[in-house]
Amino acid sequence: MQEVAVLGVGMHRFGKTGDAIVGTKSVKALCQHAVTAALKDAGVEWKQIQAVSAASSRFSGGKGWGLNGNDVVEDMGSTGIPVYNLSAGCAAGGNAFNIGYSLVAGGIHDMVLVVGGEVMPKGMIQTSGVEEATDPEFLRQRCIGMPGPSFWSTLARRRMFEYGTTEEQFSQVAVKARKNSVHNPYARFQKEITLEDVMNSPYVSNPLRLFQICPVSNGAAAVVICSKERAKQFTSKPVMVASSTVATMTFDDMLPRGLADPITDCPNLHTEAQNAVTRAFEKSGIAPGDVSFTELQDNTCYYELAFPEEWGLCQAGESESLLEAGETTPTGRMPINPSGGFVSFGEATTAMGVFQIAELTWQLRGEAGGRQVPDAKVGLAQTLGLGGNATAAILTR
Amino acid sequence: MTEERVPCVEGLFSEKDGVATLHGSRCTGCGTPYFPKSEACHNPDCSESKMEDADFGGKGVLWSYSVADFPPPPPHIYDEPFTPYAMGVVDMECGLRLIGQLVDKAEDVKVDANVELLIDTLYHKDGKAFTSWKFKQL
Ligand SMILES: [Zn+2]
Repeated sequence: MQEVAVLGVGMHRFGKTGDAIVGTKSVKALCQHAVTAALKDAGVEWKQIQAVSAASSRFSGGKGWGLNGNDVVEDMGSTGIPVYNLSAGCAAGGNAFNIGYSLVAGGIHDMVLVVGGEVMPKGMIQTSGVEEATDPEFLRQRCIGMPGPSFWSTLARRRMFEYGTTEEQFSQVAVKARKNSVHNPYARFQKEITLEDVMNSPYVSNPLRLFQICPVSNGAAAVVICSKERAKQFTSKPVMVASSTVATMTFDDMLPRGLADPITDCPNLHTEAQNAVTRAFEKSGIAPGDVSFTELQDNTCYYELAFPEEWGLCQAGESESLLEAGETTPTGRMPINPSGGFVSFGEATTAMGVFQIAELTWQLRGEAGGRQVPDAKVGLAQTLGLGGNATAAILTR
Repeated sequence: MTEERVPCVEGLFSEKDGVATLHGSRCTGCGTPYFPKSEACHNPDCSESKMEDADFGGKGVLWSYSVADFPPPPPHIYDEPFTPYAMGVVDMECGLRLIGQLVDKAEDVKVDANVELLIDTLYHKDGKAFTSWKFKQL
């Protein structure tokens, strides 16, 4: 196994179709921007890239078949290199990073580009486009009508019941996230908001309000990775990948994903995420207590409270007190989403796993400016997506 | 004159003499229940994976719930004007964690409440009432 280094990262700032940031740019244009930035950051020429691992979008580009990596290669120059297009719902970016990592770690290729980008349709994501009675998502929407935000608010309500979490505490997470985003030039929202702003925003699905849920965004991210040996030709202090993992959910999972699930004697909820993160710790030999900061998938503020507990970063029921003590801010004991997170970026679904690697890299290099985690040594990233897919990565300096 | 009641998806559930029944399946190897019917058993410790038709219904306990404050996107269909509704996740005595709308007003719904399954109107179209399964707090 080769040790894998992150040589360069790049992004296109996130925005919304028609705004001053992304305007009417296509997903190809957004990806090309991010890739060019990552190559420049790495000091690598396009012709030195030996393979591309790309997240497949079901919303934009990719010739309608999720061939987004092929679009990137054509626009950068058709060199004939192998392209891997990975599909894993919102975990696709993390999945693409894992395949890129595996190609380098396995000694197959020694300069790999990982990329993800999206131009999202407006409004709530309708996860299935299939209108037939054999499709579980169709049945869920036709027979009940339970879009993503309702799924999240069910989890939030359960946490309120179990731990006494208040709506104000969910709101505090959003306030903290947006405070970080002020210092992130790639975030879609870069303005602070007050607790009052969040509490006055309308319910999307009671108990969750508009500012506690991430909207959809357009954006792109890219990273260039190679072996530790190869990296020495470009930099004296590369950021290293301690582990990269992919996992799926297990049978004991009790998250209400379809119409119904068998009740098991184990109350685990996000087993795919827990499995991915646990394996990332095991493979790297790094313990939860060693983590300097975490970038996790906060589609809603609920996850910032639930995930750290499910992964052993803190005790069950402890998240609210850590939040209120300021321990989840960049200068706290357990910094969560110093980037501003999904709540500040919006979700450009398949770009997110790659965006997290970019943020981890900037933090570990000490290049994160006003959102910098002091003396950041170990960063943890996590995504999860439809179908019970999840990824995790641990980066070190 | 009573209106004609039609299931919103044919074959998934039925109502008879006021009793609601969901048509699913159960693994004869390990007893795991599935709704809707499953092609195969998802239990990795089950080597049998043999499915037989099974009916579900009855009572359960509300694990949690949410409120649809805005109309869900298609393929959901609803009667205009849209009225916010609560939807629950219920741990049923039959061994399923089942989701469904609640007939109770959102402000009256409580986590941990005892509920029972029933069939109720989801929307109207072509002079017919299209139905789905829902929960009612006891
Ligand atoms: Zn079985």
